[in-house]
Order: sequence, then structure tokens, then C-alpha cells
Amino acid sequence: MSACTPKSLASSGQKPIQEMCHPLGAEEAVLTPSPDVRNITSSIGEKDQILPNGTPVETSSPSSSSSLLNRLQLDDDLDGETRDLFVTVDDPKKHVSTMETYITYRVVTKTTRVEFDLPEYTVRRRYQDFDWLRTKLEDSQPTHLIPPLPEKFVMKGVVDRFSEEFVETRRKALDKFLKRVADHPVLSFNEHLNSFLSAKDLNKRQGLALLSKMGESVKYVTGGYKLRGRPVEFSAMGDYLDMFTQKLGTIDRIAQRIIKEQSEYQVELREYGPVYTTWALSEAELQGPLEGVASCMANCSSALDELTQDMSEDFLPVLREYVLYIESMKIVLKKRDNIQAEYEAKLEAAAFRKEEKASCTQVPTDVEKCHDRVECCNADLKSDWDRWQNNKRQDFRQLLTGMADHNIQYYEKCLAAWESVIPLLRDKQPQETETEED
Amino acid sequence: MMADSGSEEIAVIGNTDLTSAELENNIKNTMVEIEKWTSLLRKMEISVGEAEKRTGKNTVNMQEIYTVYLIETRPVDAVTEGIIPAPDSLWRRYSEFELLRNYLLVTYPFVVVAPLPEKRAEIVWHKLSADNMDPDFVERRRVGLENFLLRLASHPVLCNDKIFYIFLTEEKGWKEMVYETGFQAKADSRLKAMNAAFRVKNPDKRFTELKHYSDELQAVVSQLLRVRARVADRLYGVYKVHGNYGRVFSEWSAIEKEMGDGLQSAGHHMDAYAASVDDILEEEEHYADQLKEYLFYTEALRAVCRKHELTQFELEMAAQDLASKKQQKEELVTGTVRTFSLKGMTSKLFGQETAEQREAKLQVLEQQIEEGEEAVKEKNTESDEFVKTAWIDIEHFKDQKDRDLKEALISYAIMQISRCKKGIQVWTNAKECFNKM
Repeated sequence: MSACTPKSLASSGQKPIQEMCHPLGAEEAVLTPSPDVRNITSSIGEKDQILPNGTPVETSSPSSSSSLLNRLQLDDDLDGETRDLFVTVDDPKKHVSTMETYITYRVVTKTTRVEFDLPEYTVRRRYQDFDWLRTKLEDSQPTHLIPPLPEKFVMKGVVDRFSEEFVETRRKALDKFLKRVADHPVLSFNEHLNSFLSAKDLNKRQGLALLSKMGESVKYVTGGYKLRGRPVEFSAMGDYLDMFTQKLGTIDRIAQRIIKEQSEYQVELREYGPVYTTWALSEAELQGPLEGVASCMANCSSALDELTQDMSEDFLPVLREYVLYIESMKIVLKKRDNIQAEYEAKLEAAAFRKEEKASCTQVPTDVEKCHDRVECCNADLKSDWDRWQNNKRQDFRQLLTGMADHNIQYYEKCLAAWESVIPLLRDKQPQETETEED
Repeated sequence: MMADSGSEEIAVIGNTDLTSAELENNIKNTMVEIEKWTSLLRKMEISVGEAEKRTGKNTVNMQEIYTVYLIETRPVDAVTEGIIPAPDSLWRRYSEFELLRNYLLVTYPFVVVAPLPEKRAEIVWHKLSADNMDPDFVERRRVGLENFLLRLASHPVLCNDKIFYIFLTEEKGWKEMVYETGFQAKADSRLKAMNAAFRVKNPDKRFTELKHYSDELQAVVSQLLRVRARVADRLYGVYKVHGNYGRVFSEWSAIEKEMGDGLQSAGHHMDAYAASVDDILEEEEHYADQLKEYLFYTEALRAVCRKHELTQFELEMAAQDLASKKQQKEELVTGTVRTFSLKGMTSKLFGQETAEQREAKLQVLEQQIEEGEEAVKEKNTESDEFVKTAWIDIEHFKDQKDRDLKEALISYAIMQISRCKKGIQVWTNAKECFNKM
């Protein structure tokens, strides 16, 4: 990977090669250190302590141990890269202002990179900010695959935007997003990421961002050029993504179906146990055993509840996120196609002009530039694709082993419940041994 | 004419001067004794082997297909001499079992007679066929019939019955023999009595409690069986849907390079998981059958209680009749009319009877009183006997029920433990495959 790095850097952004800054060179800081005092009138987690000058202080909270865990759960270092940038998203809090109510998340950065002034940063960001970052990344690195964000819009009334489950699911997805960006050899050096991680107040300049988003992305997705010959490997990527999306959709449906069946099973279980309790009331000798069975059923029922919840919270969101990932991948492929198409068109036009003006012997510079762009784009895409495949493999390994683990835990809980009831059932009375001598 | 007191000296209710604990102890000791010596099972092995289909004409002369069951018997002694002879065998169909049971019910009304397995499959979960010809149902019925015979054979009273013995040993002519006992007439009058509405003034409290218990047991076990069937249905759904993972993992593995193998093998485990539910639920049917047996037993319990009520009622009626006769005599002798009667009124209005008429009446009454006293004594003894013998059998039944149901619960728990262990196994295997992805 390190061998590719200079190549990737050479193509980052729209800057001509001469204007490229060496990543390890001094970079202009885009920090505005204005204090940000927010109206915090309610919170989900602990109260945020704010120093007199307005900088929030990183308090030791339960989430700090989870952030440690998060750090340890970063992608396996498959290619021996040494990490020098660690990010975590945690500690969601609700903010109520006169205009609106929203959630912010704490973003903690730890780094040794010289692009950052300090080795550690802690800032609070809301979803909007993540969205801004992603848009900026897409604009500045159009040939790279930008990881997806969780769904932006939630139908009010259908989903509770402030429920613990929803917030936690979103937090995990945002954390994943940021980690993927931070692990990317090109994206992680993006100036906007730097701002995002370190600025007290994000100077978002919404208007401009919106314009540029419109300008760049649209150009590359809907460019009016017709593609001649797509290299086989990129066609293969497209085909794979189509089939993979299909499989993911199927898996999503199956998982949902299972959750539904399990819920219905649980409804019946919740009625089943109490019947044993009712029966126990009419019995003498059998009262103990019957009540034992009833409480056993109750335990199994709550274990099932946990399983269903875990699957809903851990499994389905990750699947859906991958579908989004694939969508953004397809867009990148399309952009690549269009860059190639543009090049081909320009080349053709130049060749045509060359025929007319026999004096022109050199290839026009803009055609050359196009050619470079195509080459760089292809290279970026290939390396991103490999990276993506590796991450996908890990992510799904984790996802599926997680599913297996949840199920194993469920069965272990039930097993424990039933095993504990056996001695209660076997409890013998002295009279029984006499009449058994038949 | 209203009967009132005077019942203290005539109708003797079951409670004697023994304490209930002593009574129970006596009963238990007697039971053990009886069981040791007279259990038919000590003498012969009984089993219901195969089942076969036959065709024949039924009572309305229509062709029908029915199932017959092979009953095999072999004396226990024969086996212990080292040589194992072939068992004697004969074929019986379900209706013959029913006939046997009805005969026993009528002949031994104080016995809680073991019930037969279901005639038709009821309370089934959807996958299980409700068809009487379905091999699984026939098999479970075979087991139920064998259980029925074993229950009879180990019952201290029933095992000695001749009709039962011949049921087991002689195929031809058994039916005729049963009808020759004239039990049918008794059966009809029993049926009528069972359905009649009457009020008993002083039933033995234990029987009243037993009737309540059997009603409660019936209600709760019915509900349990219904809910269990629904639970089984749902569980089936959960397992089977996992089979879809098998298919999709297989398809997915086709488009993957390194992940392919892991996915493919994990898919196989998901298939195995989905398939495992069939055996699991088939085994659970055995538990349902054990519960069903006791559900049907409640009917036999109620029958015994009813019989007690009937005997008690007859006793009370006899006592009441006697009391009224005695009162009539008294009135005739003293000339006073204490109670209103049409006869009394007419004689008041139209003159007294002659002395001769009165004398004749008195004689008739005295005769009736004598007979009445005999009847009451008889009924009293009958009632006592019934209560005594019935209660021995009921205690026997209660112990058996507690033992059997405890065993059923234990085996159910073991089934669940086995299912959980299988679940852990499958998912652990799948996890290993996922790790290799």
C-alpha cells in the first residue's frame, strides 16, 4: 500500500500536480478557535463539563471504556500499515434549543500526524456535520469511494429519533463511517476531515458546499459522454455489486422474517408458561415441578426477547448500511466511466482536428490531462476496491459470527434454565420408593 | 310430601371413626398387597405389535378400511427357562378395545378405568396430519393401546377379569361372550343415570372435591395442549425460515472468492438446523400423548364420582321413602294428620275409613316399612362398599398420576435440553465456518 501512496496523493483533489502539497509538509490550518457555548438543557448521558473559556472537557465516562474497545475493534491491519490516526464517535447527548432539538455526538481523535496541531481532540458534532464532511469528501475526492452515512431522513412518527435504540444504531454507523475515512490512505489526509476532527466550530459555509456538490457530482454522474470500451475489471466490479446487492436484500428479508417468526413464537410462549402455574394451583405433589417448569418457560421467553432485540439492533442496520455503501460504490464506478468517456471523446475530437491541421504533431494538453485523470481514477478505484473487499470480508465475518454468537447465547441461557429445573423435578418423596417395588 | 330429619339413623355416610390419615394408610397398605399378588403382568408379557389395514363390511353393510392391531402375549415363566417361545397373538380393531372398556366401566364402577388413546387425531399442530390412516398417527395409537392394556393388566382388580383375559387370548367369539354377560342393559341404565339430573344432599366431601379437581384438571390440560400445539407451530416456522439462509449463502458463495467456502459450509449448517425441527416436534408429541392420557382420565374420575352420587342418591331416596312410610303409619295409628294429603282431606270431608280398611292399610305399610328398612340397609352397605373400594382405587390413581406426570415433565425437560444442545452445536459449527470466511 505504501508504494501506491504517492500515486494516490498525486491525484487527490482537483489541484494540478505542481500545486500539490506534500502530505508531510506544513499545511494551512483551517481552525477557528472560537469558543462554542451551547445551550445544553437536557442530556441523555452525563452532563458535559465546560471550562470557563468554553472548551468542553473530556470527562471520564462509561463511554470511554467503550471507545477503548472501539479502537481495538478497528479493522485488522491486513497490509501492515501503522496507524497514526484514531477516531471514535460516542456519548450521544440531546440538545434542546428554541429552534430545534437535536443530538450531538462526541468525536475523539488521537493522532501523531503533523497535520494536526495537537495530539488529541475532542469535539461535538451532529449528523448535519457528518453529512457536510461526506459531501466535502465526495467533492474533493470524486474518484475515491467514500463510505456511506446512515440514512438521513427518518419519518417522524414512524421512528422515534430520540429513542435510545435509534440513537445508538446511528452512533455505531457514524463511528464506522469516520473510522473508515480515517483508515483511508488518501481520505484521511483531507483538509475537511482535519477541520471536522479538530475545529471547535465547523465553518461549514453551507451555500458554497451545496453549489459545489451540485457542480461536481452531477457533472461526473450524468456526463453526456458515451463510453466505448469499459475495462473488463470494472465491468466485473459492476456485475459483482449488482449480484451482491441482491443477496444482501434477500438476507435482509430472511432476517426480518426470522425476527417476525420469533416474535410470534414468543407470544405463544408467554401464554404457555402461565398455564403450568395455573395447573400447579390444583396440585399438591406436582405443584413444585409445575411451577419450576413455568419459571423455566419465563426465562426462555426473556432470552428470546434479548435475541430478537440484538438481531434488530446489531444485524439489520449493518446489512442496510452495506446496501448504501454499494450504492455509493456504483456511483463512483459511473463517475469513472464518465471520465473515461470524456477522455475518449476528446481524443477522438483531437484526432479529427489533427487530420485537418496536419501541422499539429503533439497531443493537446487537455487530452493529456484527461488521460492522466483516467489513469489516476482507475488506479484509485482499484486500490479502493481491494480495500473495500477486505473490509467487506471482515465486516461480514464479524456480522455473521455476531449472529451466531447471539444464537449460541440464547440457547445457552435456555439450556441453563432447563438444566436447573431437572433436580427440582427429580426431587423424590420417601413414599414413592415403596410403591415402585412392583 | 317433604322428607326431613330421621336421616341420621339410616343413611350412613362414608366417614367412619378412623381419622383420614389412618384410613389412607390402610388403603395404601392394602393396595401394595394386592398389587404384589394379583398383577397380571407378573404372569404374562403383553404387547401391541404391528398394525395392519383390513377391509370389510361394517354394521350398515358398507365397505370400509380399518386398522387392526396385533396383540401378543407370552407367559413370563416361559422366558426364564432359557427357551423363548413364540408369543401367542391375535388381531383386534379399535372398536373392540372400546367394547372392552365399556364392559369394564359398567362392571367395575368403582374403578378409575384407564382411557383409550384418541379415536381421531385432535389438537394437532399443523404439520401433523389429522388423518387416521397417517402412519405416524397409527403408530402413536399403537403405543397408546399397548399402554392401555398394560394399565389394565397392572390394575389389582381389573387384571383378574375373565373378559379381559379372553380379549387378550382368544380372537374368535370374544364379542359374543361380552354381550352374553348382559352388560349392555347395565350400560344403558348407567348411561341414563349418568345423564340424569338429581341432587344429592350429603355426598362424601372427598368425592365432591375430586369432581372439582377433575374438572380443573380437564380444563387446564386441554388449554395446555392447545397452547403447546400453537407453540409447536411457531417453533416450526422459526426453524424452517433459517433454511432460507442455506440457499442464499450458497448463491452468495458463488460470487465470492475467499469468502466462498466458509459461506457454503455455513449454509449447510443452516439447512441442517432447519431440518432438525421435524424430529424435535415428533418427539414432543410423545409428551402431548402423556398429557392426553390424563386428560381422558378425568372422564373416568368423573364417572366414579357420578357413580357415588348415584349410590348416595339411591340411599337417600330409600331413606326418604322409609321415613315417609313410617310417618304414614304413625298417622294411621294415632289418627292425626300432621301433613297435608289429598287422602287425608277427602277422608275428613267424606268420613273416616272403616276399622278393617285401616287395619289392612296398616299391615301393608308395615310390610313396606320392613322392606324399606332392608332396602336402606342394603343401600347403605352398597354405598359404604363403593366408597371404600372406590377410594382405594382413587388413591392408587393419584399416586400413579403424580409419578407419571412427574416423569412426563422430566422427559419434556430432557427434550428441551437436547434441543438447546443441538442448537448450540449447529450455531457453533456455523460460527467456525463464518470465522473461516
